[in-house]
Amino acid sequence: MNKKLLIVFLFLALPAVARAQSQWVLEKSTLTYHVSHPLHESEGTSHAARGKGVCQAGQCDFLIAVPVKSFDSGDSNRDLHMLQVTRGAQFPMVTVRVHLPEAALTSATIHCDLEIQFAGQTAAYKQVPFQAVTHGNDTEITGTIPTTVSDFKIDPPKLLMVPIKNDIPIRVEMTWQRKK
Amino acid sequence: MCGRKFQPGRTSWESAVASQHRNAQYLGNRRGIRKMNSKTATFAPGIAVLLLFILVPMALPAQTTGATLSGTISDAAGKVVANAKISVKNLATNQSTDAETNSAGSYSAANLSPGDYEVSVSAAGFDTRVAKVTIAAGVDQTMNLTLISGLSLQDLGFPAAEVQGNAAEQARLNKRSHMLQIHQRLGLITTIPLGATVISGFFAGGKTTSSTSRDLHAALGTATTGLYIASAYYAIFAPKIPGTKVEGNIRLHKALAWIHGPGMILTPILGEMAFSQRSKGERVHGIARLHGQVAIITAAAYGLAILSVSLKSGTVSKSAHAVLATFDRKRPLPANASTGNNAQTGSAKNVEAHRTPESGFLKGSTFYPD
Repeated sequence: MNKKLLIVFLFLALPAVARAQSQWVLEKSTLTYHVSHPLHESEGTSHAARGKGVCQAGQCDFLIAVPVKSFDSGDSNRDLHMLQVTRGAQFPMVTVRVHLPEAALTSATIHCDLEIQFAGQTAAYKQVPFQAVTHGNDTEITGTIPTTVSDFKIDPPKLLMVPIKNDIPIRVEMTWQRKK
Repeated sequence: MCGRKFQPGRTSWESAVASQHRNAQYLGNRRGIRKMNSKTATFAPGIAVLLLFILVPMALPAQTTGATLSGTISDAAGKVVANAKISVKNLATNQSTDAETNSAGSYSAANLSPGDYEVSVSAAGFDTRVAKVTIAAGVDQTMNLTLISGLSLQDLGFPAAEVQGNAAEQARLNKRSHMLQIHQRLGLITTIPLGATVISGFFAGGKTTSSTSRDLHAALGTATTGLYIASAYYAIFAPKIPGTKVEGNIRLHKALAWIHGPGMILTPILGEMAFSQRSKGERVHGIARLHGQVAIITAAAYGLAILSVSLKSGTVSKSAHAVLATFDRKRPLPANASTGNNAQTGSAKNVEAHRTPESGFLKGSTFYPD
């Protein structure tokens, strides 16, 4: 009798297990771009990113998005200029899509293939390393995305007719929370 | 002849065999059973080969009929997904068999030969799902797959208005940047005649100066004013972006415009008055005597305004603070600014300790944009 019950339970439970999926939600984030110019260096920071991840059948899909205009460099003139050159009004969001095996989430260093949509362009970055530290359900992710202005066909902003450098690395600090 | 008559339901090879048999019977009747048997034995291998040639092509289609892969496609909630596109690719031959789910979410891909396959399922609103399956000869398989909804910006909770592009706003930003670029270039060009005007001014105001020096100074001043007004036009009439809070070095840049702007109007007026007085052989008198001082302050404010947006945030404000603090040292300190034996003059340490933005003429200064 007990065996029969167990078999019935397994038959009922297995489909549910097969469909089991876990979700990740971006709790907080700090994204900082760094711009270099011969006269000075500047940084713009945003805390407005939102993100979600869905894992199923051992595969995870993550989507992170942040409004372009949410980046604050402490200088409104520079921010408006950046918004203009990055076509931020026409393409107001930066989106990052990541697809990776669920098993990779347990590693201390996660190598991600990123697909970034920004300024109306899509650029792919392969095997970008991120450091991961897990505390309970929270996982802190830090790393730097090696973005450049040319990747997104952005005319480099100029100051005194001198353009900024091509590299605009984005420092990423995120805290993700796992939700069953 | 009857044997040659067409009989429905019989194939050509069956008819041929029957015909042969009847012919044998006919011959047997005429030549005897023994003779017939020897003849039949002679033709038997040929008949067998003929049968094989006829039968083998008929049997082949039955062998190539492979296995069928079927199943149901559903979403994470268990709801069936109709019109999902399924592509079953043989990994050895790269040949694909396509199928589509019906209204019940079911699909079927038939005639699959044995081997390893990659099954790709795609449907609108879902991420493409790829799975692998091995098909055995003649064994039908079932593969049910679940699709995951593709994450979208709406899933992240962004309002639709925030994620939609605004071409008009982009055009306004483009126009603003374009006008400010012209403002910047004209502003830089203006520094050339401005500097020349200031230098020529030292040779235009004394008793021994010639009218040529004054004319040159006036001409340079006029060019400076003209370029300045043109530059200012592009800054003043550049489109404003609603909801933008002014912060950073641009605050200092704009604040300095309240000094060099009026200065650029006042300087040529005072200069014209001074020019007129000198041309009459008079000494420069009245408010015209302020022409030089106003011009210097205007030029200094103008140069600072350019530096304020050229250097790292805070550099100019800190430099301005340092310069102003130097001048501020000449002002008497408050009674409580120093202690002990240095009560009247104050020690250097104590002076620095008390020269904060809240003391002297830095009190209430706007030079702290950061």
